[in-house]
Amino acid sequence: MISIQNIEIAFNTPKGKFVAVKDINLEIKKGEIVSIIGHSGCGKSTILNAVSGMVFPTKGKVLLNNKEVKGPGPDRGIVFQNYSLLPWLNVEENIYQAVDAALPSKTKTDKRDLVEKYLRMVNLWDHREKHPKQISGGMKQRTAIARAFAIDPDVLLLDEPFGALDALTKGSLHIELLKMWNLTQRSKTIVMVTHDIEEAIFLSDRIVVMNNGPAATIREIEEVHLPRPRNKKEIVNLEEYKIIRERLLNLLMDKVEIDEEDFYKEKAA
Amino acid sequence: MRRTIALTLSSTRDLFSGSNEAGLMILAKIITLGKGLLFNVLGFGVLVGIWYIVSLITKEALPTPVATFSVFWELVKDPFYDYGPNDKGIGLQLGSSIVRVFSGFLLGAMIAIPMGLLIGASSFCKKMFYPIVQVLKPVSPLAWFPIGLVAFESASKATIFIIFITSLWPTLINTAFGVASLPSDHKNVAKAFGFSRWKYLTKVLLPYSFPHIITGLRLSIGVAWLVIVAGEMLSGGIGIGFFVWDSWNALSLEKVISAILIIGIVGLILDKGFSWLEKKVTYEA
Repeated sequence: MISIQNIEIAFNTPKGKFVAVKDINLEIKKGEIVSIIGHSGCGKSTILNAVSGMVFPTKGKVLLNNKEVKGPGPDRGIVFQNYSLLPWLNVEENIYQAVDAALPSKTKTDKRDLVEKYLRMVNLWDHREKHPKQISGGMKQRTAIARAFAIDPDVLLLDEPFGALDALTKGSLHIELLKMWNLTQRSKTIVMVTHDIEEAIFLSDRIVVMNNGPAATIREIEEVHLPRPRNKKEIVNLEEYKIIRERLLNLLMDKVEIDEEDFYKEKAA
Repeated sequence: MRRTIALTLSSTRDLFSGSNEAGLMILAKIITLGKGLLFNVLGFGVLVGIWYIVSLITKEALPTPVATFSVFWELVKDPFYDYGPNDKGIGLQLGSSIVRVFSGFLLGAMIAIPMGLLIGASSFCKKMFYPIVQVLKPVSPLAWFPIGLVAFESASKATIFIIFITSLWPTLINTAFGVASLPSDHKNVAKAFGFSRWKYLTKVLLPYSFPHIITGLRLSIGVAWLVIVAGEMLSGGIGIGFFVWDSWNALSLEKVISAILIIGIVGLILDKGFSWLEKKVTYEA
């Protein structure tokens, strides 16, 4: 479905060539939810941008349904970290304009119906006339998710979608996302970039752990076999959850605790 | 400002205990407004005072405020009389200036906004055209007057031409700046969802740069209003600038000062109008 083949992505900077990621190989099946996790600046988003077609790999290629990705397209819906709603359009128009641009063959009524359907799915139909400044961060991100789903893409690309939200809103939006995924018969492939371990485990089938950049590579790919539908409260008590969490923590953090020595130094000072 | 409202609120609350909140709010607003007006009047009072002293010192080489205001009153009492080409009411003079300013200004905007969009959106166009803007912008618009005369063979059209040139730069530069500062987030949305060029222009680029464009227009009309007076002094015929020059030739400083006042008030109204428009089109991000 998505096939990332040995890509390297480098940028030209005044100081010369900067390699963000290299030797990335990843196969993602249809309907799979995959998270890419790693520290800031490890090139997680860069890989996602290569799939979305916003940046081009300097080596290797990205295939989507056996066709090479040559730019952004309506077969991929993107949810950006900072919502990226157009502030001069209301909630409904923000989605309508995207639908109108991405699905030009549909009639106007069909497009309006689609917008209504997805706005109802994320419970924002009553807020459709509001402008982005009038709604909360969580509502903005729900609008952005509805917008990405509304163009009915094969693949959803989420770039740290919940990074700017508080923990409670984040939790409800995880459910919201999985609900949308279920309502579309779990047919949509979701690739998500995150730095939140719990979020990655709760949502994903597989978690791609990155090494630190520059020239970051894939460190390991963790499979998550937790049964679906998942329940936030219950899965944390499952043995497998604990094991995966432990493994991810070890992979991502060199030091999990503060040295006693450091503590005494602090006290003396 | 806020502090004064709070103060007046608390003091009025003591006076009118029992009346409702809304009434108090309105009263507080009126009091603040009244205070503001009082300061304005005070400022003008000081100015008129100095003026009076100067005219006394110069033995009325500078006309006194009283003499000036009586002339001013004569002028505004019957603004639309027309006794031939050299004797027209102040309203007619002003009207013809305003028509000229707006003709030049609108022509300028029609060129400046598309050019600004181009220069802001394409680095190629910026490299090509921006140096031209930088060279021509500092030139006093009056320097274009002879060229206008040659091109249009009419002093009146040449005046419109210099207003046109004047209005170009602020609008062009502001538009280009607005377009160039479009956040990449908005661009990415257009890219990700495959917006057509037209949709990108009408739903992303223009709505984003609209407030910048209006700011540019406001600056342009301000400069245009400055330049029209000088332009009409050169062109003669009719107009508020010509009126100032004509009054000077007739040795009526009272009329000159009255005209200055009127020019200032019209300039203020133009600026307020565009500020209002600016606020109207500014969305809150």
